[in-house]
Amino acid sequence: MIVCVAVVGHQNNPLYIQSFTDADDALKLHHIVHCSLDVIEERVNNPKKSGTTLNEAFLGLLYPTLNYKVYGYLTNTKVKFILVTTDLDVRDTDVRTFFRKFHAAYVDAVSNPFHVPGKRITSRNFAQTVSNIVGSYGLN
Amino acid sequence: MAPVGPRSGDAIFSSIDRVNAELFTLTYGAIVRQLLTDLEEVEEVNKQLDQMGYNIGIRLIDEFLAKSGVSRCVDFKETAEMIAKVGFKMFLGVTASVTSWDADGTCCSIVLEDNPLVDFVELPDTCQGLYYCNVLSGVIRGALEMVSMKTEVTWTRDVLRGDDAYELQVKLLKQIAEEYPYKDDE
Amino acid sequence: MGREVAESCVDTMLMEMVAMYSGRFYANKPELAARRIEAIGYQVGHQLSERYTMERPRFSDHLEAIKFICKDFWSEVFKKQIDNLKTNHRGTFVLQDNKFRWLSRVSIDPSSTSGETEDPSTPGESKAAQAVSMYLYFPCGIIRGVLSNLGIPCAVSADISSLPTCSFVIRVKA
Repeated sequence: MIVCVAVVGHQNNPLYIQSFTDADDALKLHHIVHCSLDVIEERVNNPKKSGTTLNEAFLGLLYPTLNYKVYGYLTNTKVKFILVTTDLDVRDTDVRTFFRKFHAAYVDAVSNPFHVPGKRITSRNFAQTVSNIVGSYGLN
Repeated sequence: MAPVGPRSGDAIFSSIDRVNAELFTLTYGAIVRQLLTDLEEVEEVNKQLDQMGYNIGIRLIDEFLAKSGVSRCVDFKETAEMIAKVGFKMFLGVTASVTSWDADGTCCSIVLEDNPLVDFVELPDTCQGLYYCNVLSGVIRGALEMVSMKTEVTWTRDVLRGDDAYELQVKLLKQIAEEYPYKDDE
Repeated sequence: MGREVAESCVDTMLMEMVAMYSGRFYANKPELAARRIEAIGYQVGHQLSERYTMERPRFSDHLEAIKFICKDFWSEVFKKQIDNLKTNHRGTFVLQDNKFRWLSRVSIDPSSTSGETEDPSTPGESKAAQAVSMYLYFPCGIIRGVLSNLGIPCAVSADISSLPTCSFVIRVKA
């Protein structure tokens, strides 16, 4: 199951982070998100090593930890999406679909004229949509 | 060739030049944001949005009359229906409905459920008192003034303020009879 | 096909926005009016860039980003592509639109802008040109907003020395 999703800006500034698990784990998950930013940087600067198609937004599995799998996505506008899951068996298509929906929700959130670029996303609609996307992850 | 009669909003909308709504929505949003930064007072912004709408309304009316084939001399009831069914449709691509007529037929409500102006918009708590869509009230007021109807347009429902629809009350204050350009010599 | 509105809604709104800022608010301060109009364009460009780059792989370099503006972006916003792209390969790009949609559709009222620095020999021309320049701060802002969000800080200006052609000059900051 998905335990954490995050949106990080191009200056590695956190724009949105939501855990779907107990509060105790939240700190650990924030740490995982933070570490994944380095991995993304490496991936983007050394595309041949990673194996993903050059310049594709979906970065694939960033790194597995003992209990989690961390996936990354980098938009053209230098915004990173991070997904942390406890699933052992993760289907590529499910994660890609997740990021596609998540990206669309993100675009709507930053299209709010009252959103300040570079500042945290405070949209209630976004939070609701993200919960829905997480809830429907892996179904059909 | 004389126009056959009033055209439907759908027909007109399909025949005119259209653009992606997001250009419109985002531009309006950016204008509102900039106004809030420059004017600071929410009431001032409401006023400017209304003024903006008024100036737009007095321009759009010509296009409305030309494309819809409607004759100028209509009564207020018919006018309200035209605004809701043809006006909103041919410009914003959405239909509105007319409700709550008073006994005189001089006051009604125009209700909009779908509103392209507010796509993606979420008002922050710091904008209490802002009528985000106030441009619309100005547009209606301006357009109607050009067809000799002086009206008062006020918001009674606003989704961004927690209601379930957008509702504008349109009250006819004065209908000015058309004046003839030439006076009889006395 | 996404949601659409009548193009005249955008035209009249833009005309009114320019009249409001350069005629009402900052009638005697054209620089301030220009900056506000450009800032409004910047926010729009910033937000549109998120939306219109959503389905695309990341751009490898500046040229790819500029080409995106010339083709996909211009098509989405202006229903045509840029007619000619020139670059000096040192950070300056000139985007030439031979029939810039907004200039051909809107009527720019010279009296709606300030009339400070008027050339006494051709007063009418100068005012009209001023009005057009004021109006063009908006699309310049849009372009700057798009590029800035793609990680390319720049300055954008409009060149209307050969109307009806309108050129947008992008100078990428080092």
